[in-house]
This record gives sequence, structure tokens and C-alpha cells, in this order.
Amino acid sequence: MIEQQAQESPAAAGRPSPGALPHGRREWIDFVFRFQSLFGLLAVFIAAIAFSPVRNGELLFLTTENLANVVRSVSEIGIIAVGMTFVILVAGIDLSVGAVVGLAASGVAVLMMERDMGVAPAVAIVLAIGLAFGAVQGLISTRLGIQSFIVTLAGLQVARGLARIWSDGQGVPLAYGDGPDLAPEAFSVLNERLLGGLLPVPALIFLTVGAIAIFVLRRTTFARHVYAIGGNERAARLSGVPVARVKVAVFAIAGMLAALAGIIHAGQLNQGSPNDGAGYELDAIAAVVIGGTSLMGGRGTVAGTLAGALLLGILNNVLALNNVDANVQLLIKGLVIVAAAALLSLRGRDD
Amino acid sequence: MAERPPLLRMRGIAKSFGGVHALRGVDFELRHGEVHALLGENGAGKSTLINVLSGVLTDHDGAIEIEGEEASFHRPADAQAAGVATIHQELDLVPEMPVAENLFLGREPRTRLGLLDRRRMLRDARELLARTGVELDPARRLRSLRVGEQQLVEIAKALSLDARIIVMDEPTSALADAEVEQLFRVIRDLRTQNIGVIYVSHRLEEVAAIADRATVLRDGQLAGTVELAASSRAELIRMMVGQPLDELFPKAAAKPDGELLEVDRLSVLPRRPKPGRSEPREVSLRVRRGEIVGLAGLMGSGRTELLETLYGAGAPGRRSGSVRLDGRELELGSPRAALAAGIGFVPEDRKELGLVLGQSVTTNVTIAALHRFARAGLVNRSRERGAVVQAIADLHIKAPGRLAAVRTLSGGNQQKVVFAKQLLTRPRLLLLDEPTRGVDVGAKAEIYRLLASLAEEGMGILLASSELPELLGVCDRIVVMRAGAVALELDAAEATQAALLEAATASAREAEAPA
Repeated sequence: MIEQQAQESPAAAGRPSPGALPHGRREWIDFVFRFQSLFGLLAVFIAAIAFSPVRNGELLFLTTENLANVVRSVSEIGIIAVGMTFVILVAGIDLSVGAVVGLAASGVAVLMMERDMGVAPAVAIVLAIGLAFGAVQGLISTRLGIQSFIVTLAGLQVARGLARIWSDGQGVPLAYGDGPDLAPEAFSVLNERLLGGLLPVPALIFLTVGAIAIFVLRRTTFARHVYAIGGNERAARLSGVPVARVKVAVFAIAGMLAALAGIIHAGQLNQGSPNDGAGYELDAIAAVVIGGTSLMGGRGTVAGTLAGALLLGILNNVLALNNVDANVQLLIKGLVIVAAAALLSLRGRDD
Repeated sequence: MAERPPLLRMRGIAKSFGGVHALRGVDFELRHGEVHALLGENGAGKSTLINVLSGVLTDHDGAIEIEGEEASFHRPADAQAAGVATIHQELDLVPEMPVAENLFLGREPRTRLGLLDRRRMLRDARELLARTGVELDPARRLRSLRVGEQQLVEIAKALSLDARIIVMDEPTSALADAEVEQLFRVIRDLRTQNIGVIYVSHRLEEVAAIADRATVLRDGQLAGTVELAASSRAELIRMMVGQPLDELFPKAAAKPDGELLEVDRLSVLPRRPKPGRSEPREVSLRVRRGEIVGLAGLMGSGRTELLETLYGAGAPGRRSGSVRLDGRELELGSPRAALAAGIGFVPEDRKELGLVLGQSVTTNVTIAALHRFARAGLVNRSRERGAVVQAIADLHIKAPGRLAAVRTLSGGNQQKVVFAKQLLTRPRLLLLDEPTRGVDVGAKAEIYRLLASLAEEGMGILLASSELPELLGVCDRIVVMRAGAVALELDAAEATQAALLEAATASAREAEAPA
């Protein structure tokens, strides 16, 4: 049947370009599914406006102050989720990212406070540690043929242990200034806002990371390899895709972005603790899943992940604005994750 | 008493999907004890007709009568209850469970305490297998059986469910010749039990050997039903494609010249030997530029393993002997290295090994040659688009669009995508493993023409195939493999099916003896 249609129109024509708006009911349904997370984000955004408390005739949710806060609050999870997206696209998972946040947060604090390092070397070393940590997990997984779930579950313990050893199990508070036992003033930039208070620095870093990742996943050969491995690893290997190398790179990226999140965490709290980031891996996975990326690999986008992270942030924000009990917040978050997964499975069945 | 009604009568079956007619007024009749072949190119409507009969598609026009009684199926279970069993290409069995448990899945015999009655299950299973004419230990795990044996298990299961009509969808597509013989024995036995068999296949030789009548579909319509005893292969092909296909195999104009591939005493000692695999043993062979060399042999004779080894995708282990391409020694380390050296490979299982089904025609076609469309790691999409448009035109790939998922293409067009991907890497040597399996006659002819023109351009081709007429029609030379080793090498002009078969099977017996 397809063949007959194709004979009438030139084989190369066909489906409208991704940018074009759809027409027809069927295509609208496809369209909504394809950008499910963006529509979800829009819906939650509208709901947040509707449920926003009002003070002095102003919607609290819509104040620039609050919106900036939303983006800032999701920047750490968002950055981790971007790395997680790469991992999940190759049908892997990285459970170690939360522990790497703790390792990086305490590590950067120790380096600046106790080793007298400047911001640049401390940050560079911590990012390199995150990168290497991820790469080693990738190597173990590919070389020994162990599922990434297991390897990173072990990595989670190792990273947490390393963090505690490094910081003597203590949180390291950051005090700024010149001289020994003080962190350079420059590090406190992570607590600042640009553009007249509109743009918190962590949010800027988050959005930059997201933009770079979107570009990488749309335009590079690396991305094609990532999607091919997730879609059919054996076929990818037979097509000359360097499967092991790409997987190692993907885990390295996830590790480095987790370390970046850890550095931001330390900057925002003015302290690095080895226990930081506990459970972040699950929030990041939630953002990726809500963003429409398939845990089976091969399917998903960073734009979806960004939307997923923002959606969770708005949800938390509006619930907090309404003084909803934190435990109820957890319930609602759970429902949203299930709803997103249900939509995804509906779309899968549609194929 | 009136004449006994036929086992099955389908009248005026019509079905359309979103305005496209998949079937238009098709009549079909199956007699008791008849093997009735259902023929047609991909997309001709065979699967739709089968799905109507097996209750998968319920919203159709036309009537179905079984033994003269009107039947209407609302779900597959209804068809099953009416005695229709369908054996799909992908078998509906559980690989990790023993044969017996597969046979009685969901209706396991129980003891009085409600526990599984294992002993009775094994006994019943043994009896059932014997009745089907299959010699198998019902305690074996299904996974350990060959595909052909698994199929027989499925037939036995159908019989135990009192099936009167058994539909077999491409039953031999994964079988070697010896297994096909075994299957045919079982089918002939079914015939004596008055069971009707609908046999869907692309292989006309087989159809002629096993079926009594054939019904041919073309473009969703009935092209005709014929007695096979009274009709020729050419006639069937004409009915299928609607035009005479006088030359399925083009005459090769290529003049082989100069050694391209030189394999000398290549052996592989796998680190972890796997049952059912025959790694290369002391294999020596040559492929010249512009030459098409065939690899014949039974299933498990080591053809696939040899191709995989040459492509750097074989079993890990110790290798000895040498492989040279254009005089340069090859490492055989990875598919990536093989592609870089100028070797392309079209694997046998295109869905598992050849394609990323969920992704687009474009990404599938260019994945192996991406570096040609990229600079500094960035894909130049307009150059990529140009190459894909060209490939679609060159290979006559029929697809809804460049961005359509490969999953939506027919088998023949999927195979062309795999070819396009490999050809885009500009190989000097092309390794092909069953490239026309599950592909309709029209696409087959196109693939043969493509091979001939590639050879004419000086490409060397090593073609493994289970279809002897294909090897005889396409190749310059044929190498017969047995148990991983070369059993015989012949000029295609001197070769006959009998000689090839003799060499392939004699070897199988010898190989089994010492082990």
C-alpha cells in the first residue's frame, strides 16, 4: 500500500518537514505526541498561573523573581538530566550521578578551602574527576559486559565513599576572601544574578548546557551514533559505529555534568558536603522520562528533558507557593511521572 | 446427500486501510487434505487475507465458511476455536521453557493437589510429537532447538488444539534444505489426516514440490487459482508480477580480472565455542574484481560465520591463516576496520542486524558512511540529503519519504536500504548473506540486476545463499561449505543443483561422524 502511494509521488517527497505545522486531525495527534513534554509544560504552566496565590493584586507565580527562582531551582537537576539523556539514549542508566554531585561539591570546597586553590584549577580538577569517573564506569560496563545499572549502582557507593574520605565525612563551609583557608571571592558568582536580577547564574549555566546539548544531538555524527546504538546496538556495530567508544564518551559526559551540578550546588549553599545530591539521580531520570525519552534507548531529545525538568520545577514551585505539604508534593510528582509514561506507552502502541 | 462442502471457503473478502484497498473481493477455497499455496509479491494482500482468516482483522467485507458453516471471528481466539491455527514467521513460543511446557502452555495438566503434573505432561508431549512425526525430546529447552525443529513444535501444538486448518506464513524462510525436507514430510502427513494447509511462500520451487493448488494475489485482487500439476513456474511468476519476467537473472557482462580477496587457510578457534556455529576451518578462496562468488551449504555449514569473520564481526578467538584485500593483509578486528578497508556486509537478519527499524530511511542509509558527509564531527545535512535522494533513486527504494521510519517499509525495500547503506561506503568487496530472503520476486530481480552492475563496475561479491537456483543464476563460481570448511569449488557454468547438494550433504554426514 505504501508502495502504491510512493509511486504516485516522488519517493523523496512525503511527510512535511518537522518545522511545518500539521493539518488534519491525525497529524495533530502525532504533533502533540511528538512534543508531548512541551505541551505538558504548557499545561502545567497554565495550571500554575490558575492556582497561583495573589498578593497585592499580583500573581505570585508570574513575578519575574519567582520565575527566575524556578529556573534556578531546577538548574542542578536539569544539568544532570541532560547528561542522563545521553546515557538513556544508548539504552543505559547512570545511578551514580547523585553521588558524583556529593563528590564534586565536597571536592571543590576542600580544594579551595584547604588546598588554597583558585576557582579555575579547582573547578577544572573536579570536572575532570567527574569525567574520569564516568569514563571508568563506561569502560567497566563495555569491557566486562556488565549492565550499566549494576556498574553505576556500584559507582554510586564508590563516589559517596570517596567523597567522605576526601572531606573526612564533614561538610566543608565556604568562607570567601583573600588569604589561607578562604575561598576566592569569584566562586560566589554562583549566588549572583545577571541582567538586573533576572537571570541567576546557575540558570544561565543550565540553559547554556542545554543549548549545547541540543546542538550536539541534532547536528553531530556522535549523536547519530548515540541514536543508532540505542535503536539497535548490533546493527550499529555492523555499520561501523565504534560502540564501546561512544558509550564510554556518554558516561563521561554524564559524569562531568554531574560534577558541574555539584560545583553549582556548593556555590549556591556556600558549602560542600559529601552527602549532597542524594537521590538526585532519580529526579534526573524522572525529568528525562517526562521529557519523552524512551528508557529502551534510541528515542528522545534534550529539549524534552529541559521541558521535563522545568515542568517538575514549576510543579514544586506552585505547590510550595500554596503551602502544600511536602509529602503531598511527592504524591503529585509521582502521578505526573506515571502520566508521562502512560502517554509515552500510548505513543509506542501507536507505531 | 449433497456434495461435502469444502473445508474453508472465503468469498468476496475486502479490506481497506484508510482508503487504501488491501484486498478487493478475493475468493479463496481450501479442500480437506489439501496443501494450498498462497502466492503474491509483498503488499499483494497475502498477510491481510491471513489476518482476516486468523481473526486478527475483524472489520472486513465478505464471508468465511468453515465446513459449510458461516463463521465470524471477533478475535484470534474465535478463529482458534473454529480450528484455524496460524504459524507465523516469528514463532509464538517461549524460548526459555522446555518443549513440553510450550506445548501445554496455559492448559498444563495438574495433579489432584493442583500442582503441575510434570510426568503426565512429558508423556502427553512425547505422544503428541510422535503423532506429528517429529523425533524430539520434550524435556529439551526450546532455545536449544534449531528453527526448523521449533516450527515443528508449533505444528504439534496446533494439532493438539484440534486445528483443521493450518496456515504457515513463510515457513521455510529460516530453514536449510534438510530441515525443509523434514517439514515437508510433516506437511504430507497432515494431508493424510485430512487437515488443510495454507502455505504462504516466496519460493516457487518449494510450492511446486509441496502444494496441490496455488492461489495468486496481485495488488489486493485475485489473480487466479491454478492446479500446480498443470502450470509452470513461468506462469506463476507472470500471475504474480502481471508481466512476463523472462530474465530473472541478468547475464553478467562483467569480466573478472585480478585477485581482490585472497583467503588462505583461514581458521578460527573461538574462545567460547557456541553450539550450532561452525567457525572457518582451513578456508582458502579467491574473489576477483568483478566476480560474483557463491557460498553454498546447509544451515550451520559455516557460511555466515565465514562472512562474519571476514567482516571482523566473527566470534572472538584465535585466528590463523591470512586474508588479503588487494594484496594488503587484513586484521579482521572490527566491522569499522573492515569498512575502512573497503569491505561491505549485508547480514542475513536485516531486522536484527541490518537496520535501526525505528529510525528514518535517511539515518539508516548514511550511518555507515557518515564521515563522508561530515566535517569536524558535524553532519552536513544538505550533502547527506543529496546522497540519500540519489540512493533512493538508484536502488528504486519505495518509501513514504526520506524521514519515514524504516519499519514502515516492505521487506524488499528494507533490504534495499541495507544495500544502500553498504554501497555508500564504496566497498571494493561486498559480502552478502541471504540477501533475497523474504523478498518478493520483483525486488529479487532488482537485487540480481544490481549485483550484476556492481560486478561490472569491478566490485567483488561473495554471496551466501540457501537458494541453489539463485547461486547458479547469479554467480561466476560457487564454493560449497561443510562444517566450516570448503567442500567443493565449481565454475557456475559446470555446476548443477544435484552436484552442489551432494557436496553439501555428504559433508554434513561426514562432519557428524567423528564428533
